[in-house]
Amino acid sequence: MENSKETGIKKLLENIKKLKSSMAASYIREGKPESDMSRAAVMFNNFFLHFQGVKTHLNTLRPTYTFGLGLIALFLLVFTTISGFLLMIYYNPSIEHAYNTVKDIRYVVFGGDLTRNIHKWAGEGMLIFVILHMARVLYTGSYKRGREFNWVIGIVLLSLTFVLNFTGYLLPWDQLSYWALVIGSNIAQSPKEITDILGITKFFDIGGFQKELLLGGTIPGKETLTRVYFLHIMLLPLFLFTFLGAHFWRVRKDGGLTKPDDFVPSISPEKMGGIFTTHKTYGLMALARGKTPAVDRDVENTVLSWPHLLRAETAVFMLTLAGVLIYSYFVSAPLKELAAPLIPENPAKAPWYFLGLQELVSYSAFMGGIALPSLALLGLGLIPYLDREQDHVGVWFSSRQGLYVTITSFIVGTAVLIGILVIVINFGWFRNWWPDVPQVLITLVNPGTIWVAFTIAWSVLVINRTDSTRMGALALFTLFLLSFLILTYVGTELRGPNWEFYWSRSQWPVH
Amino acid sequence: MYQRFYTALLIVSSVALFIFTLMAGYREITPDYKSYKSEYRDLFRSKATGEFMKKKAESIDFSVQQVYLGKLNRIDRCINCHLGVENPLMEDAEVPFKMHSGNYLETHPVAEFGCTVCHYGQGRATNAEDAHGTDRETHWDWPILPLKYIDSACAQCHDQEMLAENGADRVLRGEKQFVEKGCRGCHKVNGIGGVLGKALDGIGTQPRAYFPMRYVQGDKTAYTWLKEHFDDPRSIVPESEMRIVLLKDEDADLLTTYILTIRADEMPRDYRRIRTGTQEVPGGEELYKMYCIACHTTGKYSVYDEIFKRTIPAIMNPTFLRVADDNQLRRFIEDGRANTQMTDWKEDAAGLTDDEIGRIVEFLAKSRPAKRGKLFGRSIFDGDTARGRDIYETRCALCHGEDGMGGKNRLGISLVTPVVKEADPEFLLQTVRDGREGTPMIPFGSSGINLSDQDILDVVGYVRTIKPTASPKE
Repeated sequence: MENSKETGIKKLLENIKKLKSSMAASYIREGKPESDMSRAAVMFNNFFLHFQGVKTHLNTLRPTYTFGLGLIALFLLVFTTISGFLLMIYYNPSIEHAYNTVKDIRYVVFGGDLTRNIHKWAGEGMLIFVILHMARVLYTGSYKRGREFNWVIGIVLLSLTFVLNFTGYLLPWDQLSYWALVIGSNIAQSPKEITDILGITKFFDIGGFQKELLLGGTIPGKETLTRVYFLHIMLLPLFLFTFLGAHFWRVRKDGGLTKPDDFVPSISPEKMGGIFTTHKTYGLMALARGKTPAVDRDVENTVLSWPHLLRAETAVFMLTLAGVLIYSYFVSAPLKELAAPLIPENPAKAPWYFLGLQELVSYSAFMGGIALPSLALLGLGLIPYLDREQDHVGVWFSSRQGLYVTITSFIVGTAVLIGILVIVINFGWFRNWWPDVPQVLITLVNPGTIWVAFTIAWSVLVINRTDSTRMGALALFTLFLLSFLILTYVGTELRGPNWEFYWSRSQWPVH
Repeated sequence: MYQRFYTALLIVSSVALFIFTLMAGYREITPDYKSYKSEYRDLFRSKATGEFMKKKAESIDFSVQQVYLGKLNRIDRCINCHLGVENPLMEDAEVPFKMHSGNYLETHPVAEFGCTVCHYGQGRATNAEDAHGTDRETHWDWPILPLKYIDSACAQCHDQEMLAENGADRVLRGEKQFVEKGCRGCHKVNGIGGVLGKALDGIGTQPRAYFPMRYVQGDKTAYTWLKEHFDDPRSIVPESEMRIVLLKDEDADLLTTYILTIRADEMPRDYRRIRTGTQEVPGGEELYKMYCIACHTTGKYSVYDEIFKRTIPAIMNPTFLRVADDNQLRRFIEDGRANTQMTDWKEDAAGLTDDEIGRIVEFLAKSRPAKRGKLFGRSIFDGDTARGRDIYETRCALCHGEDGMGGKNRLGISLVTPVVKEADPEFLLQTVRDGREGTPMIPFGSSGINLSDQDILDVVGYVRTIKPTASPKE
């Protein structure tokens, strides 16, 4: 019995000495990632890393392929979540204290102002990067070959990002919050326009119901704040993280990011050790669709994720964090006067990312607030199902023709949309021409519906001319992106008091 | 792969992150008030004599201090820069270290009252710009109150007599202006007053956005707005119908001080020191000033009003009073005059009680001559309207217009308004015969143009038949 010679105390001291190495070894069970084997093991044995493959295709690492957009959106979510936790320590969701606690966060909480800025800008940054990520996925055709439903999940995530930002905008309970809430609740009420036309509002007031559901009353008040807070910190994040998990899981199951079929690396990859051999069998968990490295071809175009992918990811992480910090250092999140129900902001504007919609709402509340955005989301969601051509996946704009279609759509779309806006701004619409025109006609025929009809017509025309549904998808998405940009710009910069047109904010009549 | 690119990106980002983390941290640990505190400590040290004071100077707390005022629902952090308000050594120091003037803090200790309850401003803020809140971009609705209006803050808790006794008489003097310039002739307060202007309830606590700041020259605050608006209403609100009632700059400041005491909120009971005394019942003359003087001025002469575009009648004119008896005066006041700016003053409209109207009538009647005019003795209009028309066109149309509408650039009043249409025959007949002293309306009877009583009957008969050609303008 050799062990009997050692006393318990001696064993304890021995263990204390080895504490550092034994703890490290228990965390990274396969030893330092020095060999290819342990580098692979570090990926698949780590909970946080196993969402990624052990090996990464070179195309994934190509900066000009993804631009790291989805990753940036994810990191922004991380930053906004962490800063949100910090804000929750001080913020009090009651109409008596909400505004005051936000003021305290600004003035006396250590780093409070910076934390609030980070929370705000990371949150709004998410919007931008989620949309850019969506554009990247579309323009590289990455919604194909089994990824169709993941695109739909992406649309859900986009919507959640919008709603999360909007609910956050309401929490400080300042004038911006209050009047954004008024506008939001009026949009929720806008189906009334249709039920009024049909004369059934008395029996079936879906608009009024939606408004009361959001506000917990007929005007924004303490019930509203409770609801909005619950949505912002609990329900919506729950959905967001759940769908995000599904989003990543599917990317992994679909064999990682898309790549061109005829990928030729511009640089010769390092020769990798033989982790994947053609005759190895895999457990079910490791099964993924697509061409895995195991299928002989393309294996030479992969590198080990540790360190290559992780280095790239860390770089993007640092870039994002630095970007958010620098922006937040210089630009403060807005905080206006305390909410005053009797003093309307003029113009009362929704947050900037909804101003495109608000421009549409100014033509017809129902169309702009409910029908057209729903149609846009539906249209986006259907893209993978309407375009089922399976070639040219993983190539920006698919082909030279795709680039041509995109640019043409952009130019034609810009001209048509600006044309429509020029008409509306200079000459008004039906109501100005024939004051007695029935509302149903304006609801059905207004600049918003005409524009949507044009986007559909143009996409069908493109499909007809090119004999390719992929080209139609490029055209449709380009027009969508374009209208988001132009309408948001018009709503933000060119609309002043009473939603009238001004070339710039400096020309607004000073109140 | 792309190893160099990502490594470079990582290094550049990390360096930027590092630098800005340091910068943000530095900004965080060096707020403005800390430099004020160290400056104050040096000043305190140099002034302190004696062991105790020296120790006090050394023990200045550099962390943020605040006065929490639960009942007032406030947190005041002003004392982080205004450090010497309670320190007698700082009597001659410069702002912000200067000791508070007077002995106010003896009866209003900072720990119990804070600062913003009297001075307003944003108590929670910890930098000068946001705390004072004068700049519009600070988005604070109740900026720091200029000292010339500070008396208005006292009135939150103290009655005016007490203030006047203690040297803060500006509120009382302001109220005198308010009453004597007849502000309530157009503005309601507590439901009583005219309807031509906005009600003034709670105006002292209205958020800044309530006041159109476009033409305000000074700070864009409610205080400056009120002051400049009193100097010249139409320079601040071009379409305003308010008359320029003040002559002196000083009066405008006083009136501003008083207006700021009309607040929507009320101090907690523990803070209030309002003595309940018997309210003095205002007499007829005072009521006339309060409600009538803004338009009718002295009441002796009629005036063509450039803003209302009409002539405001001379209601204390003897010839008017001779034809209008007390009951008629009371009816004019109670029901107002349709289609004119004259308000219905009765209790369920502008809010004057029967008693108050009675006192105003009594005051007006003092100017009535003892001798009544000779009566026509008519109770209906029965003149020959065709003849009356001829007389009207030669004698009356010049001032009252062919259409009888009076109006812009004409001396006469409109004859198609209910004022004329519904008047008693005797009232109209005598007015034409005897004229209206102090107005362009000359006597058309024997003492002037020398029309016969029948002529007058005919012309008044005709006037009654004139129909408005278009809807009379306001």
